[in-house]
Order: sequence, then C-alpha cells, then structure tokens
Amino acid sequence: MSQVFSFDATDVAIIRELRANGRANNQQIAEKLGLTATTVSTRIRRMEDADQLRVVAVSDFSAHGFNVLLRISVSVDGRPASEVANELGALPEVVAAHMVTGGYDIDMLVALHDFDDLSEFLLDKLSGVRGIRTLTPAIVVDIIKYQFDVAPIEGKA
Amino acid sequence: MASPQLDTLDTQLVDMLARDARVSNRRIAAELGVTEGTVRGRIKRLQQDGLIAFTAITGFQLGHRARLAFINVQADVDRVREVAQVIADIPGVNAVLITMGQFNITAMCLIDDLDVLVELASDQILSINGVHHVETSIAVKTIKYNARMAKITKPEVVPDDED
Repeated sequence: MSQVFSFDATDVAIIRELRANGRANNQQIAEKLGLTATTVSTRIRRMEDADQLRVVAVSDFSAHGFNVLLRISVSVDGRPASEVANELGALPEVVAAHMVTGGYDIDMLVALHDFDDLSEFLLDKLSGVRGIRTLTPAIVVDIIKYQFDVAPIEGKA
Repeated sequence: MASPQLDTLDTQLVDMLARDARVSNRRIAAELGVTEGTVRGRIKRLQQDGLIAFTAITGFQLGHRARLAFINVQADVDRVREVAQVIADIPGVNAVLITMGQFNITAMCLIDDLDVLVELASDQILSINGVHHVETSIAVKTIKYNARMAKITKPEVVPDDED
C-alpha cells in the first residue's frame, strides 16, 4: 500500500452520493453537492488513481449460478500456512481466503453451482493441495446481511 | 433453488460495470454493439432482480477499519434467525451468515482495534438471549477477496432514467 491518502469533506460527500447511486453522473452529483461537474470528476479520478476508490457493480452469487456456499476452516500441517492459502486461493471455487488467528489457520468461502460439484472440488481439487490436515465445513443456509463497502483495492489492471 | 442466470450480453455488461460502474450507457452500447436503450433496460432489470447493485468501495485508509474479524456464534437452533437478525442490526457488523456446522451463525466485521471486537463479541453478541458461545478469529492476511461478488440483500432502489 502506498503513502497515506487523505480524504477531505468533499471527497467524503462524493463517496456518500456514489454509495447511494454509483451510476449517478458527475452533473447529478455536482448539483446535489453544489459543486461543478469538473470538480466531481477530478475528485473521483484522484481517489481512483490512489487506489482508494472503486465504483463498481457488485453481482449476486446467484447471478453467477452459485447456489451453494460453504465456509471451510482449514488446519495446516507440515507446510507453511501461507503456501497452502495461496494454493487454495488460486482455485476458482474459492471466492475468499484469509489467514486467521484462532483454532484454524485458514478461513475460506467456497461457491459451487450445486452439491454435485462438491465431490469434484473435494476429491480433485482440494486433495491436490499438500499440507491440509483438516477441513471443517459449515454450509451457509442463509445470508442475513452482506455489506462490505470497504475492501482491499487492487491496482488498476 | 431457482437461479436466474445471466445470458451472454448480461455477463458482458456485468463484467464492464464491475470494472467501472461509471462508464456511460453510450460507451457500453458502442463496445457491445447494442443500442443505448438495450443497455439501459438490461441494467434496470438486473438491478430490479437483485442480481447487481452499484456501490462505491473505498480502501482501508478511509475510516481505518483495516482488519476483518470473524465472530462465530453458537445459538439456540430454534432461535437462529431471530438472533442472526439482532446481530445484523448491530452497527459495525458487515455480514451475518446462518450456517450448518460447528457454529450456526457467523458474523463478520471490519475493525481497527481489538477493543471493538471484544465489545462486539463478548459484550453485545454474547449477551443476546439465545446465544451460548462465541469465538472470534481475526484475518491476519487476505489471500483472496472479491468485493465484486456478494449477496445482495437490500433491494436496490432503481433510479428512474439517467443520462
């Protein structure tokens, strides 16, 4: 991560408008905040260029046909956990992977189209990753809330 | 489970908007070889069906909430949904999943300070009626995270015609 970027009140106001409607154009945001469209455009670009803002479409898991979500806690043995985590993260079914403190080493979220995909994922994919001692799965049966508007932002491709 | 699938044009549209949601309908139309009306109509339908939502994602430097923490909860089985809703309503909780496994609720939050986590887990959540046990774990390193895919839980208010 680069040097500390500072947001002023105008930046924060623009972000608030974008959170409410990411597709609002510069003119609409400018009118609401009493700014010029050029200022809005410049501010957004400045935050994007510093990798501190992305205005994006977020799509639902179901839009991708993922109807099964599993949260799997992984214990690692005989190999650095970061190596195992990197290999797991490279699997397309793994949508999130974190190294964690506590009873397990890695926490991951796995998205599958349906339960038929589970055997292939387990027997062909996970079994190829060395160092996994145990897998403790939890089947996600309902999502009550899922709102992340702060996230690690990757550099522009 | 019924899963509304995206067709090829939807997928291309979503891919473009996932990179930058501020691209104009005109540019999308030109790039995908369809009319602006089609683009506008498709976006509106995807929003109304809860398949996409537009948002602004900020980096960790705004608000400094830099660490993802998991709060795993064991709650009475017959009160899971009710307890999960109470947890979801706590300010600072970003996600709440009901699961079948060792725990039946997982809450996720972004914290900048361990005190916040202790307060959330050991004071607020553990004191909810029906909660028996709480365990926390903190993400010390993010290996993979895709902010562009999520569960869209609140119905998007679709603004009337733009541009």
